[in-house]
Amino acid sequence: MRIKLTSVMVADQARALRFYTEVLGFRKKLDLPVGEYRWITVVSPEGPGDVELALEPGAHPAAKAFQEAMFSDGIPIAAFEVSDVAAEFDRLKKQGVAFTREPTPAGPVTIAILSDTCGNLIQLYQPA
Amino acid sequence: MLLAPDVFRRLCRARDLLQGDPEPDASPSVADVARGAGISPYHFIRQFEAVFGLTPHRLRTRSRLDRARLLLAEGRLSVTDVCMEVGFSSLGSFSDLFARRVGEPPSSYRRRARSMVSVPGRAPRDLFPGCLSLMARLPPSAFRNSGEAAPGSL
Repeated sequence: MRIKLTSVMVADQARALRFYTEVLGFRKKLDLPVGEYRWITVVSPEGPGDVELALEPGAHPAAKAFQEAMFSDGIPIAAFEVSDVAAEFDRLKKQGVAFTREPTPAGPVTIAILSDTCGNLIQLYQPA
Repeated sequence: MLLAPDVFRRLCRARDLLQGDPEPDASPSVADVARGAGISPYHFIRQFEAVFGLTPHRLRTRSRLDRARLLLAEGRLSVTDVCMEVGFSSLGSFSDLFARRVGEPPSSYRRRARSMVSVPGRAPRDLFPGCLSLMARLPPSAFRNSGEAAPGSL
């Protein structure tokens, strides 16, 4: 048993693909049509053999309710490791990304939290 | 941009208002919602879009169309009733927007949903898939390189 894939639910797959590639900087691995949806995965260019992240359609009404409740309470749905969270914060802010938390020391990590524009908060963390 | 906690809360509250149950002719305008959030309309729209990816107006439309899709798939209401129920006043513009977003007009979507096996009164699961279930419908080639780091193939 291996962990090869994880996912975030997104409100709009096309917009999510743009955000996760053009803004965050991930690389598209798969983009296949499945009925009215798409199977989209992205990987990090820094670790193309790492876990794939699927951008899943959040079509189910319960998925939307869950997503909105987590978002409103400021709770991130995924966390990505970065080597320089301050640099990422500056780079992404210039691209118009909205942060709910600027780089903040939190125990063994420094974290920042951003909105992925598709209904999720994402935590960036830099290990000390 | 960095959003202060209270601004973020007010934007989430605005999102909830825009997605709330529509009351005919009483749905708040975007300017009303901005005023309620205590943010100037210019900054409101700009911040809203940065957080939610859509302008307030477009988010409301998307939310109405999502709800329409679910109601049509459940099959209990007619297209006209669904149109009114989700807060559109013109059947024509509802049908146009729906077709543009979903890829087919509401009437044919409703017919197709009804033809799918389902629990009566509930939307067919295939139309609202548990997302990872989509994996079952991929070609085998999607997993051919699984297990390898294959930067060259990207």
